[in-house]
Amino acid sequence: MYEYMLLIVGIILPYLTLAVFGIALAYNFFKWMFLPRPVMWAIFPAKENTVSILLTIAKRIFSLPGPRKFDKLIFTLAWMFHIGLIVSLSLHAKYIFLPHLPFEYEMGSIAGLFAAIGSFGFIIRRYYDKRAESYFADYFALVLLIITLLLGTYIRILKLVDPAQLWGWVQGILSLNPVLPPTNTLFLIHLFFAQIYMMYLPFKTLIHPIAIFYGQKVILDKRHIGKE
Amino acid sequence: MMEKLFDEYRGLSDKKIRPNEPKSEQFLKAFKELLDKKNNWAFLLPFKLSLEACTHCGTCAEACPVYIGSGREKIYSPVYRADMLRRIYKKYFTLSGRIFGRLVGAKEITERDVNALAEAAYRCTICRRCALACPFGLDNGLIMREARKILAELGIVPDELKEEGVENQITYGSAPKIPYEALMNILDFVKSEIEENRKNVNIEVPVDKVGAKYLIINNAGDYLSFLDTIRGIVEIMNYVNEDWTFNSQNTGVFDNVNYGLFYSDKDMIRVIRAHLETFKKLKPEYVVVGECGHAYDVLGHLMKDLIPAEERPFKVIHIVELYDKFLREGKLKLDKDKNSAPVTFHDSCKIGRCGGIYDEPRRLIAASCRDFREMYPNREYNYCCGGGGGFALMSKYNFLDFRMKTYGKLKVQQIKDTGASTLITICANCKRQFLDMVSYYNLNTTVSGLSEIIANALVY
Repeated sequence: MYEYMLLIVGIILPYLTLAVFGIALAYNFFKWMFLPRPVMWAIFPAKENTVSILLTIAKRIFSLPGPRKFDKLIFTLAWMFHIGLIVSLSLHAKYIFLPHLPFEYEMGSIAGLFAAIGSFGFIIRRYYDKRAESYFADYFALVLLIITLLLGTYIRILKLVDPAQLWGWVQGILSLNPVLPPTNTLFLIHLFFAQIYMMYLPFKTLIHPIAIFYGQKVILDKRHIGKE
Repeated sequence: MMEKLFDEYRGLSDKKIRPNEPKSEQFLKAFKELLDKKNNWAFLLPFKLSLEACTHCGTCAEACPVYIGSGREKIYSPVYRADMLRRIYKKYFTLSGRIFGRLVGAKEITERDVNALAEAAYRCTICRRCALACPFGLDNGLIMREARKILAELGIVPDELKEEGVENQITYGSAPKIPYEALMNILDFVKSEIEENRKNVNIEVPVDKVGAKYLIINNAGDYLSFLDTIRGIVEIMNYVNEDWTFNSQNTGVFDNVNYGLFYSDKDMIRVIRAHLETFKKLKPEYVVVGECGHAYDVLGHLMKDLIPAEERPFKVIHIVELYDKFLREGKLKLDKDKNSAPVTFHDSCKIGRCGGIYDEPRRLIAASCRDFREMYPNREYNYCCGGGGGFALMSKYNFLDFRMKTYGKLKVQQIKDTGASTLITICANCKRQFLDMVSYYNLNTTVSGLSEIIANALVY
């Protein structure tokens, strides 16, 4: 029974996750790309060239100007959450190239904790903040994420999984010669939730980073800045 | 006494909304058409994106002047209003909404929802400050505009915008139906008044001159309610001795407004076409949009996207850009001591946030006024006055109270904080809202366009 679970969570589900995640993400991106957008209806100050547009996007991702100006609480939570998540995911992605990095457990634990605190703050804020209605789907994504993040952080802090074994499992999946994952139960639960979240992500939450590329503030060409 | 449909206010009549008539099926049909590329090619992407990508973080609420001005009432937050449409969208037009229903926020439409939306869509001036705040650049203001488009298909549009706005403009050349003789009398009066004030100055007011370098097309309301602005324009254009003209109904539409912007792409295009026909007859090098905000949004920006370049062989600028050009070329000699009272400036949403004109008016005010005081916030962060989205024209029932007690309340405080005695703005709808505010709140503030301020500072 346990072996079946290992097989499902550690070998079948990863391929399913990668397929769903990749296809849904690409679909989402291209769906917006191929929708016509003849009218810009810009928000000014406008960006006059591609470089300044890209810089604005980067700035928006990392410095969150809207929340910083209008809502300091969500700015703080979003910053903690996103930085924590980016560091944490990078340390997961490193298994594609490297088995081990110095201080990875320490960095990963702190990052995971940051992201978990951020997401927990989001939940509390959603519950008490009555400016916008939140629905089950909004809470579902956050709860799934918190469980995944806290389990991951716990596993890192207690060093419950051998990185060499993880490296072998990741390499096996990538080279299409899959091997069974580490057998720690908490790790398997973490892995299960992480994969469910990844499959859910492109349908719900991942639309918002895509939106940054198509939203109303990015824009513009010469027609819209009066230099036609 | 009309029944409450959304809040304690009413902007539209029962005759328009027809609260007891079933409309939900027709509403869904119009909504479906709006989600089709063929019917909504212009705004489909930002509309769908704003419907789908919102995470309900609520950041937009703190940017919304009506939400803040109302004392932070939830029903006035942009995301709440947009969700009224978004939930219906999820239920009928998304797979997740059909399968998971309320779990993902989807909601079946009711007749009450349609009635409430008919009013809620007219609680947002579409000032788009919320789009500036949204971390993803989503535009809840645009969602409200799209909601108005759906409602327009059901015949739910304020008379002030359609019958007394677009239809009048297309039929009579101006929304307020100013007869030709009256227009000429007004312009004669302006001419004689300037000549009387400025001795030894000969004033010309060309009308319908073909091939002039600058065709100045005003908000026709200025000819009736803000004649000082018209007087300012005439005096400045004579002072710089440029080749210019106004126009009248003899050459088509002489009112720069386009109320279609506020409720219908179809009517917006009808008005643009009427403007284009007029410009074709007059063949100007520049179409200069007089002191009006939304007209500049349409003629200066949207028209460039909607109409091929070969059909508009002229440049479009706002009159403030033209004055700024004159100033930089040294054609305007100004004495700022002639305007010594403290002044402040209101950045109109459609000229600033949606139009990109921030520095030009400030340069002109700095050159023509002794004591300029910024209001805060300003530029792209400025609050809407509450006259946008067509609201300045809507005062029936108790809608004036809504305008004054929400947007107006916030704006009054902003003005008072500056300590200025004169408020300058370059949009006719803003001016109307400010005049209503002055009278509603008994303010000791003078509302002025920029043209008359500059004209007053001219050195002869």
